[in-house]
Amino acid sequence: MTSTTSSSGPQSKPGGGKDHGVLYIGMDLGTSRTSVAASNGVRESVLSVVGYPKDVVSKKLLKKDVVFGKEALEKRLSQRMHRPLAKGVFKYNELPDGADRGEIETAARDLIGEAIRMAQPRKDELVYAVIGVPAQASIHNKEAILGAARASVDSVMLCSEPFAVAYGLDMLEDALIIDIGAGTTDLCRMHGTMPEEADQVTLSIAGDHVDERLATLMKAACPGAAFSNQMVKEIKERYSHLGDAPERALVSLPVDGRPTEFDVTDVVKQACSMLVQPIVDGLRRLIGTFDPEFQHKLRNRVVLAGGGSMIRGLDTAIEGMMRREMGGGRVVHVDEPVYGGANGALKIAHDMPAEYWAQLR
Amino acid sequence: MPAVAGIKKNLADAVRKLATKTSVDQLRKQGVKQVNVVGLDRIVSFVEEAVHRTLRDRLLVGERAAIADATREEFMRLLRSNEELRARQERDAEEVNALRLEMQRLNQELAERIEAAHAEERSTWESEDERIATTVRTVVSAALREGRDAASLERRVLEVVMGLVGEERRTTLEAKAAARDNEVELLQRRIQKLAGSLEDAEQKIGELARTKDGGDGISSIYREVQGLADGEDDFARRQSLMAEIFAQNLKLQKGG
Repeated sequence: MTSTTSSSGPQSKPGGGKDHGVLYIGMDLGTSRTSVAASNGVRESVLSVVGYPKDVVSKKLLKKDVVFGKEALEKRLSQRMHRPLAKGVFKYNELPDGADRGEIETAARDLIGEAIRMAQPRKDELVYAVIGVPAQASIHNKEAILGAARASVDSVMLCSEPFAVAYGLDMLEDALIIDIGAGTTDLCRMHGTMPEEADQVTLSIAGDHVDERLATLMKAACPGAAFSNQMVKEIKERYSHLGDAPERALVSLPVDGRPTEFDVTDVVKQACSMLVQPIVDGLRRLIGTFDPEFQHKLRNRVVLAGGGSMIRGLDTAIEGMMRREMGGGRVVHVDEPVYGGANGALKIAHDMPAEYWAQLR
Repeated sequence: MPAVAGIKKNLADAVRKLATKTSVDQLRKQGVKQVNVVGLDRIVSFVEEAVHRTLRDRLLVGERAAIADATREEFMRLLRSNEELRARQERDAEEVNALRLEMQRLNQELAERIEAAHAEERSTWESEDERIATTVRTVVSAALREGRDAASLERRVLEVVMGLVGEERRTTLEAKAAARDNEVELLQRRIQKLAGSLEDAEQKIGELARTKDGGDGISSIYREVQGLADGEDDFARRQSLMAEIFAQNLKLQKGG
């Protein structure tokens, strides 16, 4: 079900030992992927996809009322599928056939519940969670996320996703975080205090748009080939790059039912390149409106995070454009793109004083 | 000597209970003209005296008293058990009597009901027969009045008979259909119930599976809520950031 690794902390004792305790959970609730990091050493990630059996037959075959992530995708033909989060918030405007708002909220609640379960909390421990949400999530959506989380935890707080990344990296001052998700790309300026609205830019161009662009380009580059959105996504995740290609992207696609090999190296690069210009525009806006005395510091501490930061050569491509358009800059990417937000949220949860947690219970 | 008085009274009661009752007329019928009467007190005295003499002749003084007490107790026990036995027999007899009466009443009721059912059936059939006969008679009379030939009369009688038979068949079919509908409804209810049970069972299996997957969980490395420690780097700034995040969440969650 889950698609990445999990590990236990040095003091974890599966199934025994302690009779009580406090489990902190940091969660990155994303459009494409939801990740959790917990104070028991568990780190897990699941695709933000929820499936419900279409009928009694599929329910009987599945032997479950709900499936998540990769399992839901694999069995999608017999499921009512939901990606409950769009742009990191509840997705109300693109409902599948017959789905209603309540179904989306149920799917989101189930997804959050599953993410908490993945952290493997003990029943006798208090669970305190910090959930990273997009910088510009609406109040309504924040309330909905809180409502969904309360069913599974003792106390919960939300924080801005890019801030969580910065906090996790101890880059609270003179840094610029770029969190590239599936639905949005968030840019956040850190200057030692809590970021305000002016410190943040949210771009609607992100991973999903790259997928759409790649699908369009592949239709032209691979005549007669049949492929689904999921196949395009998998090709992107496998071969995404900018600059010199580390390997040729040779993919097998069916043409009239016959597997045919295509070279999609150039179209993948072309699709990925669509991210660079809007990001550099956002950087220019945030750096250009910052205190002139500290702009150079900001320009030289640009951090790439989120799933999109795994595009090979993206940091170099942004640096190149910054050099051309802004007179230079330095871009690095986080070591763990999938868990950057969850790690930061976990650190916030740890540092939050006890009385604050108690007041929100 | 209240103990001795008690024994005398018990002996008297026992003799009275063991005696059979009879009347002067009955004795006369048996040819008895005279009877020798012994008073109850005398009989009790005889028994008492007999016991004492026997004991006196055969036993020493100390043993006599003990055996006398034991004998007295045994005698009393026998009397009591005899009384209990009689009482039980009387109760049983009463019960049997009541059961017989009840059975008789039920048999009578059953017979009445059977007779009533038969009467109702007879009445139904009789009225049915009468109705058929009347119908046929009416048809035949009308045909004769109208001067119809035998073939026409036969056709008319056949029509009437087939109509009556058809009506009977329809009634029977309706009864069968009603019975079938009841059966179908019953089966549907059972299926519905089974479906509900199946759903519950599946849900429980699912819950069990999830519980099994979850196991007991993994303990956190913390036993208590942590928070920032005084000596940590950048303590003041981070403390301020935590306060700000909390304030935003408090406003969001509690409207504060």
